Amino acid sequence: MRSRIFTIINGHFKSWYRSKSNIFWTIAFPLLLIVLFGAIFGSGSTKFDLYLQNQDLNANAPTYYSQGYITVLNNTGAFNLHVVAAEQPDPLTYVKSDAQLHNRGQRLLVIPLGFNQTLKSGGNATVQLYMDQSDQASASLAGIVRSVTISYAASIARVPDHLVLQQVGIVTKNIRYIDFFIPGVIGMTLLTTGVFGAVNTNGRYRELKIIKKLATTPLSKIEWILGMVGYQMILATISLVVILFFGYAIFGVTATIDIYTVGLVVAASLLFPGIGMVLANFVKEAESADAAANAITFPMMFLAGTFWPRETLPDIMKIIANFMPLTYVNDGLRDALIYAEPAQALTNTIIALGLAAFFIVLGSLLMNWKEE
Amino acid sequence: MSDNPPTPLVGQSDKVVQVDKLSKKYGDNVAVNDISFNLTKGEVFAFLGPNGAGKTTTVEILECLRNPTGGQARVLGYDVSRRSDQAEIRKRIGVLPQDFNAIDRLTVRENINYFGAMFKHQLDADKLIELVDLKDKRDEQFKKLSGGLKQRVGLAVSLVNDPDVVFLDEPTTGLDPRARRDVWGVIERLKGQGKTVFLTTHYMDEAEYLADIVSIIDHGQIIASGTPDQLIDAHGGRKTLIIRDAGEEGLKQLPLGLPKAELRNAGDIAIPLHNGELTNILMSIGQSPLRDKEIEVRRPTLDDVFLNLTGHRVSEEGN
Repeated sequence: MRSRIFTIINGHFKSWYRSKSNIFWTIAFPLLLIVLFGAIFGSGSTKFDLYLQNQDLNANAPTYYSQGYITVLNNTGAFNLHVVAAEQPDPLTYVKSDAQLHNRGQRLLVIPLGFNQTLKSGGNATVQLYMDQSDQASASLAGIVRSVTISYAASIARVPDHLVLQQVGIVTKNIRYIDFFIPGVIGMTLLTTGVFGAVNTNGRYRELKIIKKLATTPLSKIEWILGMVGYQMILATISLVVILFFGYAIFGVTATIDIYTVGLVVAASLLFPGIGMVLANFVKEAESADAAANAITFPMMFLAGTFWPRETLPDIMKIIANFMPLTYVNDGLRDALIYAEPAQALTNTIIALGLAAFFIVLGSLLMNWKEE
Repeated sequence: MSDNPPTPLVGQSDKVVQVDKLSKKYGDNVAVNDISFNLTKGEVFAFLGPNGAGKTTTVEILECLRNPTGGQARVLGYDVSRRSDQAEIRKRIGVLPQDFNAIDRLTVRENINYFGAMFKHQLDADKLIELVDLKDKRDEQFKKLSGGLKQRVGLAVSLVNDPDVVFLDEPTTGLDPRARRDVWGVIERLKGQGKTVFLTTHYMDEAEYLADIVSIIDHGQIIASGTPDQLIDAHGGRKTLIIRDAGEEGLKQLPLGLPKAELRNAGDIAIPLHNGELTNILMSIGQSPLRDKEIEVRRPTLDDVFLNLTGHRVSEEGN
């Protein structure tokens, strides 16, 4: 069984690297996108929108410690701070309408009255961060705010070692567009190679009667599918390594490869070929299947946060994006590779693996191996 | 479909394929209608008929790609309808599907090894390459080969597990005459090696040239079976004397008293022969203005058999 699966993988892989167009779409095209988008937007920062209400004023001016805290937040370079007046009685309602008006994320940080006094007297002051927990960008933002708060608390409590360590952490969270973009390109490449790989291979091999021929040998359908998934994993790994290498070499993007990255690559190698197999079953002709694959992959690419953050999308599009499998792969890859947010990465990896199991099983059940 | 252990039929080991009242229906459409035949070890068996007659459906039932809706079929003693038997059949048959192409970007040798790896035991790729006469092309990618060479790769692939029976579904369709002859050469070599071959074709000359036994199928039913000679003797009609390029003028110049002659499309005159008439007819023609024309005696072919049995001929395209 193992040698049959290996033979299938080997056959696919040789066919892949002997095709110039395959190499272009799997490696050269994503790199071209990175270079183009990186050159256009790479030096710009992606900043998080954050509304801030400082209630701790003295003669309409921020108190000493509240001003210090705001300065540290600003110095991270990670935020576009939007000030909410201290006298605003219902800041949450204000933020909700203002954020919708300006197409910003709905997050509010409140520095309470008495913040300065409490800290001065050695007590525990509480700042409140209001945000939508389901918003993936907010989760990353919360991590940065948490780090800033810990660092600032450490600095005023005079624990210099801890302070330094936290400040380094804050600097690495300064996310540029290219940092955001690279995991998106990896997700997009996994999507296109997976969906088109399955659609084209199954469609073409069916037309050429290769699948019919294989069905007359001891090879089982499950071995054929495992072979295809194994091949996709190799391609996914190559894409990941090449894109990260060029991202680092050209734009200095540093990424963390961890267990979640591996989990997401495995999930994507099952999920996207699974979608392709489902598609190939409903659209039998290779040409129509290609068009159907385009119809599925293009909206996913643009709505699932490949090229720009989903928070910039209109509300209805954000809802649609939540139903797109690529959303969870992209988010998971960003959490794992760039944001270093293991909790969020785990959630997205679990969702992606669940979707992968669903689509690969459905695709396997629907795939015709015999002629009927 | 049962999952009991495989159970080859015992006591009839020379019968490689046994088909008994086999039927296949798709809704109201009957593709194969109550057909029966046997294939004996070492035979080349041709299943002959036009497109849509039920040839491929039958062969795909024998290859375990389709389930019959009626009757029974056994390959090497195993029941094609039982899942556990199907696994045994797949190990021991070789298949060349109709319109088969191997993997474009693999070489001839890689393709043979690719399909060979699906079996526990495979023949040496180089020996198969030699058998199908592709030594010069062994490292050529499949996509760069001509149609005839591609079909020879398909034949090598169908033999890679040293099968007990080889199913070749329309192996020469779409090939030019020379490429067809080359494929025939390979099949003849298989015959020489004692392989059992099940061949489907719509080419009458192919069946006549290659087959030991021919079954003619039309509209899902077998209408005649036997050796090519038996079929021709029984259903081919009379031999014909042909006078080449004689034209309308030639018809008028024929001596009186000959059987009724007809003019065929190339300007040939055809005279049906009865037993013992040939010498007299030749003597009459020898004394007529037609004596300098090219004359031949044409034996009926399977084309004539098919025409006489069905009332229509099969075109080059198989319709």
